[in-house]
Amino acid sequence: MPQSKKARPKAGRARAPKSLGTYLDRIRHDPAEFRTVSRTANPMNFDVTAVLGHLDQRREYPTVQFSNPLDMHGKPSRFPIVTNLFGTRERCAEAIGLSRSQAGPQLGSLLCDRIDRKIRPVTVKNAPAQKNVLTGKKADLWMFPAVRHFEMDLGAVLTMGMIAKPPGEDFYNITFVKAFPESASRAGLTVHTLHMSRILREWEQRKERCRVAYVLGHHPAFWLGTLNNTPWGDNEYATCGGFLQEPVRLVPSVTWGKEFLVPADAEIVIEGEIVPGERTVVNPFGDISLQYQGQQLGPVMEVKAITHRDGALFQDIFSGHREHMLLGSIPREGTIYNHLRNRLGNVVAVHMPYSACARYTAYISIRKVEEGQAKNTALQALAHVPNLLAVVVVDDDIDVFNEEQVLWAINFQVDPSRDISLITNMRTPSDPRALGSTRVIIDATRPGHIAFPTRLRIPQSALERVNLGEWLDAAKGDAQ
Amino acid sequence: MTGMRIFWSTCPKCMKGFVVAWELRHAKYKLICPHCGHRYLPDESAAIDERHAE
Repeated sequence: MPQSKKARPKAGRARAPKSLGTYLDRIRHDPAEFRTVSRTANPMNFDVTAVLGHLDQRREYPTVQFSNPLDMHGKPSRFPIVTNLFGTRERCAEAIGLSRSQAGPQLGSLLCDRIDRKIRPVTVKNAPAQKNVLTGKKADLWMFPAVRHFEMDLGAVLTMGMIAKPPGEDFYNITFVKAFPESASRAGLTVHTLHMSRILREWEQRKERCRVAYVLGHHPAFWLGTLNNTPWGDNEYATCGGFLQEPVRLVPSVTWGKEFLVPADAEIVIEGEIVPGERTVVNPFGDISLQYQGQQLGPVMEVKAITHRDGALFQDIFSGHREHMLLGSIPREGTIYNHLRNRLGNVVAVHMPYSACARYTAYISIRKVEEGQAKNTALQALAHVPNLLAVVVVDDDIDVFNEEQVLWAINFQVDPSRDISLITNMRTPSDPRALGSTRVIIDATRPGHIAFPTRLRIPQSALERVNLGEWLDAAKGDAQ
Repeated sequence: MTGMRIFWSTCPKCMKGFVVAWELRHAKYKLICPHCGHRYLPDESAAIDERHAE
């Protein structure tokens, strides 16, 4: 069985800059959090997603390292695949220095609070990410063990993040971007965020090449720092520093030197340029909505150089599954919560359920004191979060993380003719999702304008008085 | 009522279908079949389903 060609150097015991390796060292001892696959895996033939799919069906979400994958040429790759890093809320919490007990409803808000704790990046001379420098024909995209995820996907795809900065500016934007390696030196891209789209558009209007760094692997806190809705002009290296709780270390790129800085502690960095006006065919790709994005045209990245650590890991996102969902839902829950807290003050909790792929529906509980508050709350959320399609507002006695309770409220507290509102002619999502430019608000709070039944409950005093361990007789077989 | 318009193209070589964004329906770009890699113009599809809700 082929083994990784270069042993990864041990992360230092203390003060080692945070990297994917230092993070994995924290979880690799726990089989509930980290599993390995040593046998040869062909990611182009769905071996990787088949393993993850089986685990998903068992409701197990460990990070998985495939130690001996094949590359896109069908040969043993030097880069092990690490995937499903963000598969649980608890791991996401721990990645940014929170405890597991903080992985509940408050996680999104705690995560968003990190946006304001920016830490300026620092520049270093010697970077682990540039231990190996490949240029010319050696900079071969097909040497990676890129994963083909679903049967109708166009092919293998790189699922991590791209860094770029606008013309004439000195701030960096970092965004998850899919890259389809169509040859050794070219990849078609799909870009979905407003800021990165704007950057590419501004370079294209100048008919100039946009310099980019495509990063395959970094500490999960780095990636969680890239997901928040920061204002145009924010240097996202500084935002990521806040999430890492230490400065992001940067190094001059191999291709452009100090004019474009890249993460020194990344696993792999692809330095490339996006060619103005050039388009290529990308997709289908099985995306977050559990549907395929249709084949379309995307911009083209030409590879200039590839650099990587000794023993570098190749990171992938398990698209359309828990980690992909959590990557979007946790920041959005926090964004909505903080926005409503500041604007209306009556929000209790926000949840973006897996049933709507953790992107398109928000369940929001409020302390309602008068009619109309639910609709005001929902409108604020819809205006604040792009691509949010439906909002259900419930009272604070409903646990928004318990979908049975939310559906109960919809079934028994909603008068459809009064409490369901359609907001038409908003921005159409870029995918064939059913609601199009229409948004839905469901006010599932208990009506206050008419005499109305109330939800049954056992008195809290009785629940506190009765200790189950004292009241239940011992079951058969229990030790006496 | 729906979001971005799509159509289904059936590959003339392997006869399997896949989804395509409407922007490619009348563009001069060749589609790439994700099942067999065959490249062809949309009008060369073995079948096209371009129904769309108004």
